[in-house]
Amino acid sequence: MKENMLVMNKKNFLGTVCVAVALTAVVSSCGDGTTRSAGWEFSRNMYDPIAFNPDQPNKNFKNNSTAQTPPQGSNPIGFERFEYGNSVEEYERAGLELKNPIIANAENLKEGETLFLTYCAVCHGKEGAGDGTITKDREVEDSRGKRALENFPPPPSFQKSSGTPSSRGGQMSELTDGKIYHTITYGYNAMGSHASQISPEDRWKVVMFVHELQKK
Amino acid sequence: MRNISSVLGRLAKSISISLVLLFAVTTTTQAQDAANGAALFKSNACNSCHAVGKKLTGPDLAGLTERRDEAWIVKWIHNPQGMIDSGDEQAVALKAEYATTMAPYASLSEGDIKDIIAYLQAEEAKKKEKAAADPAAAGGSSASSDANNLMIIGLIALFVVAVAVIFALNRVTKTLERVIANNQASIDAAQAKTDEEGESGSVKFAKAFLKNKKLVFFVVLMVVGLLGVAGWKTMWNVGVHEGYKPVQPIKFSHQIHAGVNQIECQYCHGGAFKSKNASIPSANVCMNCHNTITASDHYDGNISPEIAKLYRAVDWDPESRSYGTNTRPIEWVRIHNLPDFAYFNHSQHVVVAGVECQTCHGPIQDMEEVYQYSPLTMKWCIDCHKETSVNTDNAYYDQLIEAHDKLKKGEKMTAAMIGGLECGKCHY
Repeated sequence: MKENMLVMNKKNFLGTVCVAVALTAVVSSCGDGTTRSAGWEFSRNMYDPIAFNPDQPNKNFKNNSTAQTPPQGSNPIGFERFEYGNSVEEYERAGLELKNPIIANAENLKEGETLFLTYCAVCHGKEGAGDGTITKDREVEDSRGKRALENFPPPPSFQKSSGTPSSRGGQMSELTDGKIYHTITYGYNAMGSHASQISPEDRWKVVMFVHELQKK
Repeated sequence: MRNISSVLGRLAKSISISLVLLFAVTTTTQAQDAANGAALFKSNACNSCHAVGKKLTGPDLAGLTERRDEAWIVKWIHNPQGMIDSGDEQAVALKAEYATTMAPYASLSEGDIKDIIAYLQAEEAKKKEKAAADPAAAGGSSASSDANNLMIIGLIALFVVAVAVIFALNRVTKTLERVIANNQASIDAAQAKTDEEGESGSVKFAKAFLKNKKLVFFVVLMVVGLLGVAGWKTMWNVGVHEGYKPVQPIKFSHQIHAGVNQIECQYCHGGAFKSKNASIPSANVCMNCHNTITASDHYDGNISPEIAKLYRAVDWDPESRSYGTNTRPIEWVRIHNLPDFAYFNHSQHVVVAGVECQTCHGPIQDMEEVYQYSPLTMKWCIDCHKETSVNTDNAYYDQLIEAHDKLKKGEKMTAAMIGGLECGKCHY
């Protein structure tokens, strides 16, 4: 009887081990390895910054955020003021008066191209023909199913061969240094201001590269 | 009275029939015109500022021919500024309403403009057809009433089935009770037998198990081992947030923006070019596209609820296309939390070393919801730094080589010459 019991125990034991291994395998393969919780943390105060990070909430300010808009009329160190306003007249004036202060060399042009591809090509297209990726028909397939995405209105081409007129007069391919710079700074029609994304120096590099595309 | 109404009715009928006939005859030629119009609408970049059924930089072109006659449209397209100057009422009103005056398109002939108008009408008809065919809009009510009928029929059927089941069960119970009453004696005998046996099977098993000391030891060892391994793993992963995917205030999909739209990472995270932080874009960057894109196609013409959250944050009124002053920040949840005692600089890695964003952040372009892909542990940093060869093609290494050449020649080199006067050397 006792021996018989032991045999049964062994069988049960093996069975239990098999079940445990299978369960572990199943449980550990569950999910995609992502979690909503940050998990355990130890000595949190060594991780948190002593000073405030710009993206942190901050009770010391009325609007509870650390990043504050600078007081009106103040200039950050190294800030280059653009002495032209946001109007059609000022755009024309900038077009007449401003000249690209950046030296025209291969290095600056290359940087202009990189910047153009990063900040402009998504609408204007890699060649400036107004055929960027977000102006074309495209589809996404995700957890909400397959659906078409809305197209952004395509900007006019600034290639010479297209002959597209600008809504502020003249041809798109004849836009001058100052006009392009003014447009990047303040935005125009469907285009928003890109001043917060592209520094003044970089804007001039983009202008340099746009002139290359206008020749096409 | 009756006579007059019937005459009027007949008249209306004949007029509508002749109109339909006229329409049928003209559609074939219209199709060609519309195709030419579509090409012109695109090649002259009309679609940069105009759309049918939506106000963009310029007015919505739906219902254009009802608002204006064709001669006016031709005149306007040829010389908008001239019409404003001549004091045309409608032209002056347009000038007042819109920030931009339209460019003159003198090269378009009258025929071209007619073709464009034909294209616009075709587009409008297409939109209306689509709206009518949409089950959510027009067909919605009938569909829902169908569903209601189906539900009522289903409920009645369910009720009938339930009554039948209750009736059947009742009969089964009665039969069973009869069986018990007939066999009372044998049931009692069986009950007495099980009482004699006493202990149940599981208790017996536990006792036998506890007697087997080797097995008990082995099981205890296994449990300790498993707990040890689990504990070890947990302890090592304290403060490691790999796979962390918090719920964000707006369901922003990187799959759509970086993947399908192919917007460069730095378009929004431009800080990665210039600074320590890759930076979360301010909402004005979102508005560069979303001043136009509302995804209303998927919400029966309404603005997508997620994009509406953005509009609330920047206080943008899509109707008047203008900003208010009641802005409030979007409180994104930070995913990558590097401890304050570790310094990491994005621009050093992205610009100088030329590391792709995906090397550390994983397949961002496929993530509908972003999670932390890398462990961001010190070991992870060090492993990569041990393997990666340095990109020496930059000014820093040119200076380094220059400094070494000077040293070799025995020239005087002061601390100031190798950056000893940098403020940050003492004040950090």
